[in-house]
Formats: sequence, C-alpha cells, structure tokens
Amino acid sequence: MKTEEDVQKLEKLIGQMNGLHSELTLLAKKPNDALNLFKMKFVNKVLHDANEFLTGRYRPFDDFSQFTEDAMPTNSDVTLILTQYMEQIERFRSDNVANIALNKWVYMLDGKESKIEARPATRVAMRRD
Amino acid sequence: MSLIRPRLTDHFGILKAQAELDFAIPFFDEDVPLYVDPFLLWRSPSQMDNSLHTGLINAFNHLGVLMSEGNEVRAVSTLVAASECDEVGLGSSRKRVGKRIGEAKAREILSLFQRVPQYRNSGFRHFEEIQFFVEGISKDRISDICCSFLKSFLIDFTIDQCKALGIPRAAVDVADVYDYRQNLFVMRHGLELPINPLDKKPLLFVPKRWLRFVPWISYEDYFEKYCPQDEISHRPEELTHVAVLNYNVDHFAVVDGYVKAKERTFEDCHNDPLFSQIPIVSAKRKLNLIRKLPTGKEGGADKKYEDAIGQLFPSLLYPHLDFATEQARTESGTSIRDLIFYNTASIAFLKNVHQDYGSQQITFELKNVASIEIAHVDQLNRYMTGELGRFGVFVTRHELAKAERQRVVDLWSGQRKAIVTLTDDDVDQMVEVFESKQRNPIDVLTKKYAEFRSRCPI
Repeated sequence: MKTEEDVQKLEKLIGQMNGLHSELTLLAKKPNDALNLFKMKFVNKVLHDANEFLTGRYRPFDDFSQFTEDAMPTNSDVTLILTQYMEQIERFRSDNVANIALNKWVYMLDGKESKIEARPATRVAMRRD
Repeated sequence: MSLIRPRLTDHFGILKAQAELDFAIPFFDEDVPLYVDPFLLWRSPSQMDNSLHTGLINAFNHLGVLMSEGNEVRAVSTLVAASECDEVGLGSSRKRVGKRIGEAKAREILSLFQRVPQYRNSGFRHFEEIQFFVEGISKDRISDICCSFLKSFLIDFTIDQCKALGIPRAAVDVADVYDYRQNLFVMRHGLELPINPLDKKPLLFVPKRWLRFVPWISYEDYFEKYCPQDEISHRPEELTHVAVLNYNVDHFAVVDGYVKAKERTFEDCHNDPLFSQIPIVSAKRKLNLIRKLPTGKEGGADKKYEDAIGQLFPSLLYPHLDFATEQARTESGTSIRDLIFYNTASIAFLKNVHQDYGSQQITFELKNVASIEIAHVDQLNRYMTGELGRFGVFVTRHELAKAERQRVVDLWSGQRKAIVTLTDDDVDQMVEVFESKQRNPIDVLTKKYAEFRSRCPI
C-alpha cells in the first residue's frame, strides 16, 4: 500500500466483505438456492476491489476472479468464496501493519510506518520483502 | 422434422412467448381451449370493450326486431350464420372446424323474443342468457356468436397485431362479417389477414383479456348455486335439464335475479390465463416424489418419473419456454417420452440456442435410468433434426458417466450438436429457485449449458 487512500479503500472493503458475508451466511441456510443477480452485482464489485489488493500469493484462487451470471452460484458457493477472500484480505492487512508500541499498531505505507492507526495483526506475517 | 403442434407465430419464425402477447396464439390444427366470455367485455374498464358489448347486444336484439316485424327467415339465417366462427379457433375442436346450429334450433332461440315478455319488450342485456332457456347452447356457442358479431373488430385487431409482430398476411375473402349499418352478415373481399398454411383459410386473433374457461353467466353455475331445485322437482330423476329450462321460461324473475347477482359481483370476474403455473407446494411435492423414486421400470417408476417431470417442467420453465406437447415415440423397441417446448428466444441463452443450433422448438427427453448409455445419446442425437435443431436436453437421475460425456462432447466437435443433462440435483435447484424467486429456474439450464460448453474444445 502506498497512500492513505489505499488504507481507506482497504478498510472500506473489509467492512463491506464482513457485511456481505454475514448477510449471505443467513441465506446459505438454503444451500441450493441461487444468489440473485442484484446481490451478485455487489458481490462482484467487492471481489473486483479485493482483487486489486490481493495479487500474487494473496490471491485465494488462481483461476477465480468473479462470479459469472451463467454459473448461477448458490448462496453457499458465494459464502465459501467470501470466506477465502476475507482470510486473504486479513492476511494482507496483517502484513501491512506494524506494532510500534505496546498496544499501538499503525499501517505501513510504502514500507514505512505511517501515523494511521490500525487494529493489531491477526495473521502470522508472510512478508518476505 | 416439421414443427410439433405448430402455432402461428412459431411457424412464421416469430419467437415470442405467449405471456408477452396480447392475443391467444392460434394453433393450425386444433382450437385454443378457451372461450370468449361476453361478460368480460361488459365488465371491462375499457370503454372500447363496453361499446363492443353494446354493439354485440344491439346486433343480437336486432334479431328480435326482425322477429317482431315478421321477418323470421332473415332472423334465422342471420343467427345460423352467427353460430360458428372458425377463424378464431377457440373451443375444444381438434380440427378447427365447428358445426353451425340448425334452423330449428335458431327458431327455438328466436322464439324467446316472443315467449319471454322481458325480451320481447326490452331485449337481452346479456345474450348468454339464452343458455337458461334453450337446450344445447354451450360455452363454445356463446363464444362463437360473440366472435361472429364482433368479427369486424377482430379483423382490425388481427391486422394491428400482425403489423406489430411482422406476421405475414395475404389478401383473402372473409365470409359472414357483421355489417353494423345493414344488420347483416356480408362477405368482405381482399382483407389482408394471416393464413392457416394447412387449409389456406384466414385466421383471426382474439384478445386474451376476453377469454375464460367458463362464461361468468353460465347454466352450470346457475343450476348448482342459484336454481331453486326443490321448486322444480323433489325427485332427482325429474330434475332434468329440459325441466329446468322450462321452469326458467315460466319464472324469468329467478333468471333475472341470478344475472343481477352476477352483475353485482362483476369485480370477481377475471379472464383466465392460457397457462397457469402449478403452486410451489405442489412443485415441492413432485420433487420429493422424484427424489424417492427408484431408477428403472419397477413398480411403474419410469411412468411416475415422466409424469412428475411432465407436470413440473412446463411450470418451472414458464414464461421463458412455452410448453407445446408431451410426446411418446418408439425407437429400436424402446419407448421414449419427451417434452417439447416452443423456443421463445426471450432470454440471451434461448436466442443463442435458436441462432447457433437452429432450434425453434426444444426437446427434453425423460430418462428414469440409473445411467445414460451411449445408445440413449445416439437416440437423442438422431432425433435432433429439423425444427428441433441441434440442441437437446436429457432429464435424468444422475450425471453422465465419462464415456457418455465424451460422446456428447464428440457430437459437439463433429456435428456442432449440444446435449445438456439435467439431473435430480438440477431439478432440485430449479424447484428451489422457483420457490425463492432469486433466479429463474431456466437459469439452471443456462448453467448446465455453460458447463457443457466449457468441456468442449474451442
């Protein structure tokens, strides 16, 4: 991540993804039921935004980027994918925060500590750079 | 192979769903099993329909005027001419040809203008009341008389619809068109109307909003709910149709009360749809039945499977595919049942099926077998010709095994034919979305086609 705007985008994305996941988990009680096109449009928008962050080793599946209308994904298909994306986006976030003092975490921008406060990392660091 | 159960629109390559059109699409070789109910014109919110009803009643009451003037011959010939309207093709005939009433029956109807004082003095308000006094007047006769007197309007309506849809027309003579000014049926020459290719006769369309299975004012309804049966006879064997009709002539107030009651409740009178989907609960019941059925023929399982799918699919696929018919054929000693649908090209996938595979109709072959075999694939392949195009669907219990899957892919590679398989799980999902309304059940077919194409070489 390079700018403060990127951090805002990421935080917004995490919020949207959590929201969608909790809503769709309720629907997934009927696992065979399909996601309607209106909801699919928004799920795809969130996945599109997530894909901008999740490149390389962060991308959950090499051959998946978005749902297609023809594939007619079920609610449980969508929650499965969202869970994978949430896992990876959290890993990405954990790799981009730093613990600078006791209980004080900040975002790293362009490899340097910024002043933007962050929640603590929850995944083991994968960064090797 | 030509079209199966041909409809006018499909014959001319106009792929439209019945649900999208304002008129009942005529068949070429059989009638549409609905009837024009003149009461729907009376109760319509449209002033045009009301005016047509007034015109219709005026035309009918003019027969009474002729009778009072002593011109019985003309009245009889007019009523006989009005008694059949083959051009509209409504009713239960399998041949699109009806039979007119005889002169004796016409006289019996016309005698009402003399026998019943109210008709003699004021004429009819709803001419379908003749059912209550004359035997042998059924809903198709009421419908035909109505269409005959309104034929001039139906001609204009048909021409407008043909122009809007691009249905080809040809100059043709139409017999027995009611002339409002002369109060006569006359021949009209050179009208540009669609033609039935089977018998070269003109076809007329009828607005869907006028159609019902049973007229709102009907003898059966009157007899069951309104007629004072005890007053006519205490003995059931004497409570005959003729006895009721005779009673009605002498007790007009009873009929009048019934008609007024029906007029009061006009808001409950609606046109009947040409196709009604089965309720969700019934769809789920059929799915449960299918899920529990064994494969094979034991205990008539194959028949039960075919019946359940036959009842499910027309509803699940409506309004995107219009159900045409269920067919049974025998090939190499094996009985094969399939469902044929008209391709309405109403969604992108169906448009592709029409353009890429030339399918004006789509066949769904029903197979209650443990596994589809190569021979089954070949049978369906041989069937996929002509108007059915090169696209077919297996409705069966399980996915194809590897060899059969390869054969299907080979058919696409070699002949550009597509065979899609719908299994129990797919039917399950179709019923699920039929209930939840989150997607259309036909999207399951689209999905399966996309999966099939992803296995085919590019």
